[in-house]
Order: sequence, then C-alpha cells, then structure tokens
Amino acid sequence: MLGHVAIRLLQALVVMLVMSALVFVGVYAIGNPIDVLIGPDVSQELRLQTIARYGLDRPLWEQYFTFLARVLHGDFGRSFVFGMPVMELILSRLPATLELTLAAVLGAALIGIPAGIYAGYRPDGWAAKLIMTVSILGFSVPTFWIGLVLIMVFAVELQWLPAGGRGETVPIFGVEWSFLTANGLSHLLLPALNLAFFKLALMTRLARAGTRETMLTDTVKFARAAGLSEWTVLRRHVLRLIAIPLVTVFGLEFASTLAFAVVTETIFSWPGIGKLIIDSIQSLDRPVMVAYLMLVAFVFITINFLVDLAYVGLDPRLRKGGAR
Amino acid sequence: MSEVPLLEVTGLATHFHTRAGVVKAVDGVSFSLKRGEVMGLVGESGSGKSITGFSIIGLIDPPGRVENGSVKLEGRELVGLEPAELRKIRGKQISMVFQDPMMTLNPMLTIGAQIRLALEAHEKVSGAEARRRAVAALAQVRIPDPEGKVDFYPHQFSGGMRQRVAIAIALLHRPKLIICDEPTTALDVSVQAEILAEMKELVAELGTALIWISHDLAVVASLADHVCVMRYGKIVETGRTLDVLTRPQHPYTQALLDALPSRAEPGTLLAGGAGAEAAPPPRIAADATTTTGDTAHYVQIEHVAKRFAQTPGLFRKLAQKLGLAKSPDAVQAVDNVTLVLKRGEALGLVGESGSGKSTLGRVAAGIYAPDSGRVRINEAPVMSAGDRPHKVTTRVQTIFQDPFASLNPRMTVGDSIAEGPLAHGLIERAQAKDYVRQWLAAVGLDPAFATRYPHQFSGGQRQRVAIARALAMQPDVVVCDEPVASLDVSIQAQIINLLIRLRQELDLTLIFISHDLSVVRHLCDRVAIMYRGRIVESGPAGEIYERPQHDYTKRLLAAVPVLPSAPVN
Repeated sequence: MLGHVAIRLLQALVVMLVMSALVFVGVYAIGNPIDVLIGPDVSQELRLQTIARYGLDRPLWEQYFTFLARVLHGDFGRSFVFGMPVMELILSRLPATLELTLAAVLGAALIGIPAGIYAGYRPDGWAAKLIMTVSILGFSVPTFWIGLVLIMVFAVELQWLPAGGRGETVPIFGVEWSFLTANGLSHLLLPALNLAFFKLALMTRLARAGTRETMLTDTVKFARAAGLSEWTVLRRHVLRLIAIPLVTVFGLEFASTLAFAVVTETIFSWPGIGKLIIDSIQSLDRPVMVAYLMLVAFVFITINFLVDLAYVGLDPRLRKGGAR
Repeated sequence: MSEVPLLEVTGLATHFHTRAGVVKAVDGVSFSLKRGEVMGLVGESGSGKSITGFSIIGLIDPPGRVENGSVKLEGRELVGLEPAELRKIRGKQISMVFQDPMMTLNPMLTIGAQIRLALEAHEKVSGAEARRRAVAALAQVRIPDPEGKVDFYPHQFSGGMRQRVAIAIALLHRPKLIICDEPTTALDVSVQAEILAEMKELVAELGTALIWISHDLAVVASLADHVCVMRYGKIVETGRTLDVLTRPQHPYTQALLDALPSRAEPGTLLAGGAGAEAAPPPRIAADATTTTGDTAHYVQIEHVAKRFAQTPGLFRKLAQKLGLAKSPDAVQAVDNVTLVLKRGEALGLVGESGSGKSTLGRVAAGIYAPDSGRVRINEAPVMSAGDRPHKVTTRVQTIFQDPFASLNPRMTVGDSIAEGPLAHGLIERAQAKDYVRQWLAAVGLDPAFATRYPHQFSGGQRQRVAIARALAMQPDVVVCDEPVASLDVSIQAQIINLLIRLRQELDLTLIFISHDLSVVRHLCDRVAIMYRGRIVESGPAGEIYERPQHDYTKRLLAAVPVLPSAPVN
C-alpha cells in the first residue's frame, strides 16, 4: 500500500512538472501582456522598463525556470491586473466555487443514485420511464439555457429566489461561506440546481445501468433465495456492487465542475473562480492563468488519487495481503 | 402411506413470454418428495430443470411466470402466495444453492456480514450472536479455523470453500428442503467429491430433503434416492436411481446413458453422436508433409517452463529501486515439462484447474513463448528464436473451450474459416468459397451456413465451426483445450465422434487437454497427469487408469463419481 502511494506521488510530481511547462509555454504564446498593462501612449523608455520589471525580456526557458524556482517557494507571482499575490487572489475566490460545486455534485448524487437504482429495479414502471425521460433532458438541454429559464421562472416571474450573487456569508476560519445563512442558501439554490442538472442525469443513468445488470446476477438471486427483503438486497448488495463506477464519475465530475463552472457562475454572477479565470484571460493576466491551470491539474490529480483510495476502501479484492 | 409429503409439485408450468412467442420452459411437471429424501433432477441445458427449482421458491423473473399447477410445502400452497409470504419461506423452509460459487457471494462483503444478512432475514439477532452463529455455520460445513475465516472476503477463498459458505448460508435456518442447482459443476473433481460426501452426511444428520439438479448422471447416482429425467420442460422418466440408471425405460434416458464416454469402449464412436459428415477436402499438395524425421519423436516438448509475472511499469520500477514497492508475485505455470508424441498419437493432458495444462497447451501451439525449453514438430521449431519469438509454423492449430469467445462475432463463420488459409496462401481467394463449404460439410454442418454469424449457431454447432477453422489450416498437430467441457452430454458425444473420425482421416496428432478423465480415457492413447506445473505421471491410457502409480493420480481417479454398472446387454 505504501509502495502504491509512493508510486502515485512520483507520477503526480511528473504530471505537475509537465503541466507547468505546457501551461507556461502555452500562455506565453498568447498575445503580449505589455499592451494590456500600459497604455499605447507611454514613452518607449517606460515601456522597456516595464518589460524588464516583469522579466519579459529574458528568453523563454529562463523565464520558465525563474517561475519554477519561485513556485517551489510557494510564490506564483503577482497578478498584473489586481496587483496582489496570485495565490491570495485565487484562494479568496475558491471557497465560493467549492461551495457551489459541492452542493451541486452532492445533490446530484443524493437524488440521482436512488432515482437510478429505482429505475433499474422497476425498469417497466411509469416512474422509471419518467425518471429516464428527465435524465435525457438533463443530457441534451444546454446548461446556460436551463440557467436562464431558472432565473426567468423563479427569480423574475415567481420572485421566490434571488437571481444572482452570494447573499449573506458567515466567516469560518477567515473564509466566507454562504451555505450557513438562510439568505445565502437561497442564493446558492438556483446556481447549484443549474450545475447539478447534467450530473443528476449522469448519476441516474449510471446507477440504473448498474442496477439492471446487478439485479440479474447470481449474487442477487442467492440473496433473495436466502429470504432477504428487496430493500436489504438493494441497500446492502446492489448499492455496494454498483458503487465503483459511481465513485469514479463523482470524482471526475467534482473536479471538472470545480475547474469549469464558468458558465453557471457567469449567469448567476457567482463570484467564484470561473469568473476570475475568464476575466484574467481577457486581460491577459498571465500569472493568474498559469496558477489557475496548475491548480486545476493539482485538483484533478488529488481527486483521482482519492477516488483510487475509495476503490480500495470499497472493493476488498484490491487490498493486498489477504491470505488464501 | 397416508403421510402428507414434504413437497408436492403437480402440473407445474412456467412459461416465458418473449417477443418471439411463449417459451414453455416447464411444461406440466409433477413429483413429490418425502421428508429427508434426496431427489436428483437430471437433464441437459434447456430442459427446464433449473427453472423448476426457481419456480418452487417463487423466484421467476419476468418475462417468466408460473402459469399453472401447484407447489405444496407440507400441504400449504406456494403458487400465488403474496411476495412477502414467499419471502418468509425462502431461506427459512426452502433454501437454494447455485452453480457458480464465484458469482453467488457478494465480493464486497465479508463472509460474516453475508451470513448475518441471511440470519437477519428471518430473525432478530445481535452482532455477537450473529457472529457466534456464523462461526458455528462455517464449522458445520467443515471450514477450518472458522473463527478467523468469518472476517474473510469471498475472494480469499477457493471455489470449493466458497461453495461450502453458500451451503452454510443455505443451512442457517435448518430448512426442510434445499434445492441445489448444479452446485459442483464449476468445481474440480476432487473438490466435488469432498462436497458430495459432506453434503450426504449433512443431509442425513439434519434430516433435510434435497433436490439435486444436475446434468451429470454419475453425480446424481452417488447421492439421490430417486431421480427424475427432464427434457423439453417435461419429466420423461422417474424412479429409483438404480432402476433408472440400469434399466432405463424411456429412449431419451437410454440415449443419455449411451452418450457417456465412460460407458463405451475407448476409441469407439459413441452412440447417439451420429452425424452426417462428408469427407474433409484433400490435403494441399504443396503443404503435404513429407515426413522426413523419425515419426516416434514427432512432437518434442523439451524442458519447457513458463512463468507469469506482471511487467512493472516505469514508475513501479523506480519505486522498486528505491525500495518503496515490492515486486509482484509471479506464478510458475509450467515447470520444466518434457513430452514426446509419436506421429498420429493422441495425448491426453489431465489436471485440475491451475495445474498449468492450458498454459502447456498454448506453449505447444505456439501461442505463448516458453521462458526456457523449446517445442519442435518434425524437427522444425514452432516458434522463432530471439527476444520476441513468434510462431513460425501453421502445422499446429488450437481448438479452444469456448467457441463463442474464440470466433469473431462480427465475421461470418465462412470468413473466419477462410481467414487463416488465405493469409498463409494455402488457398486462392477464388477457391475460398468452395474450400469453406467442403470443411463445413466435413464437420457435419450445412455448407450454406458459411454466411451466418456465430450467434446464429448452437453451442455444439459453434464448436464444429471452431474445429473446421482449426483444421482448414491443414495442421498436423491439433491442441484441443477442453473442447467439450461446456457442452451437453449428447452434443459432447457428437463432437468426440467428430474428433475421432477426423483424427483417423487426416492422420492428426492430438494434444487433448481436459479435466474430464472419462473423455480423455475414451479419446486418447496416452495420458499425462499434470499437477502444479509438472507432469507427475504419464503412460498408456489403459495402464494409468488401471494401475495409477502417483498418489495424485490415485486421488484424482478415486474422486470421479461412477455410475452404477449396468447389466451387460
């Protein structure tokens, strides 16, 4: 087990290193930040000074290694636009996105998995057909459109819920959270629902497919033959047997939503990290872009690793050291 | 006797309503069972024997339905009972054991947890009490160290142990009846013998009645008081086991018995396995072997060893260097085996699962490269030398156990048969069609079948196609890896007959891999017994079977269930 963790850490390090190089070179290739940083009417001398100050006159490889050296000290540089350390900037926006993503993915899992199991257990019932129809909608209707409809219906017409922003927040450990106040929750509900819709459909379909397959296995037949109730069979046997693909998708969806919740955050003007990255791309804020993409890589690697650990927790066959 | 029977089944009919029409899986079955009685339910696949078992405990999944008839347990009608009421009976009064112990237990839960679930299905038990009962249940089915084994997961057990756990679960509530659906079919003979013996004892000890569903007449004979023979959803014959097996009344029972290789003279064609087969196409002249080398040492397998180990990836290698990870365990599948075959000889390679017999067969066929040693046919190597050896001859071909897996489902069988000969230039594209037709006729299939896909055939027909495909390569040596293991007795007889005939007509040298001692006895001149990667004994078939020398061979032969001998006809 320890060996396995060590291997994964080594792999993660290499991936991060490659990622940093790719990101740095990629971002370097886009536009010239100097044009954004200073007006076109400044003197040539000031222009050169600015270029030198940001180290933009050095060759690419030198810039990269300077960057790498600073990163190793935990310094991702300062934002060109905001003038504050990039890490501080990103960390100030991360909780909002984290909160939104967690609400969406957890909600999708908690509703989607039971719905999918039910649809797989009684595939011919009308409820199963309804669930599957809704899940097809979840796949095929674009996120931004659902977001707009949600705003139209619940915020504009019915005026039940606010259309945007985070609402009241409560600080915990110096970080602001919305989900602890009623007002914050009401702000969270619509964007979370919007983000959750696709994931809900995915979880439902996966759970349904797994359940249908598992219900036909001898394991389930044997459990029934031993007189177990249907509820026990579903809860103790089926859920465990279909858990691995569900956990995989949960992890992947969580990571990708965390990184790319841009559309929803824009529609609901949620002050999260997605909005920050769009802004920084528009203003060619290189340090923010680089740090953000590195963070995304880090999140994916971490979550994949956690998912792998979850496999081992779920499936005893993956554990080593079992005596025969 | 006016006593109410334990189980009385009358006119039971279970139908499956499919799009293609109604399938009458069970079509009017009646029998009764006394307390503590053991009944065998025998039939080939599709006879409805398993569905009968499931109908009794009310576990027929849609689109199936019990249409008619009655199942009475101690006079109480079970057909039409509420699901909740039926559930109370399942596991408590009637329980069931299934065929494949690898599939029945949940791999994610410990044995103890699964036993507890089964206990809680019918009574309220505390954690400590459940554990105590689980240990006792495991001890009852002779699992050593039950206290420690309770916390094991199914994958930490062997197949036989898992089946014992399943039996322990079935016995938990002291049911009046246990239905066993081919519970030893997936197990090795020696394990099967142990389980049969234990089952007999347990049933006698607890006074449980038993319905033993099986395709294997010999297994049933060793266990059952009386037997029902099923075919097409109906019971064709029923009676005391000894009577049915020695003086069968129904022609189908007679045919089943005649199809058994253990009851026929070795080497002869089996009764009931007749097929209309044409002669195979003539050998292609260019390839016809001018046997130069000595025919007594035609196939030479010399000091072959094969070890399976995971090749570590880049990072694992690095971690191993740094001492962070251990190298994975390797398996020595074949350990220094030497075998010589005469030209035209049939060698049976016998062993239980994991003995390395399939690996040895694949090395002989040039599918796996051996780690050391070499294989030669008529003095010519089967595989090239060098770092990445590959097969360099078409003179050895393989027939696999599962033709459904070995035939490409997206290719017509005609294309599958012609593929190899075309690739090696044995035939021209223009001849291919005729060539395929000739081979299909030679294995007893309609030549028009060439345009069909594998799923359009039955299991026996598919195996015929696989044989045609192997032989179309014009081999001199054929490695048969359990070619009849997944077939019904009557189909098995047909395939065995086909192999006997083709072997004579084409002068083939056979390496016949099997776990079934009676099939090997029937088909092979010589037998080699494999155990843990080594050959422990080899010699002429008759001698080995009559006078086994090695302990393992003796145990293996003793474990085979034997039919009561029929009066000489």
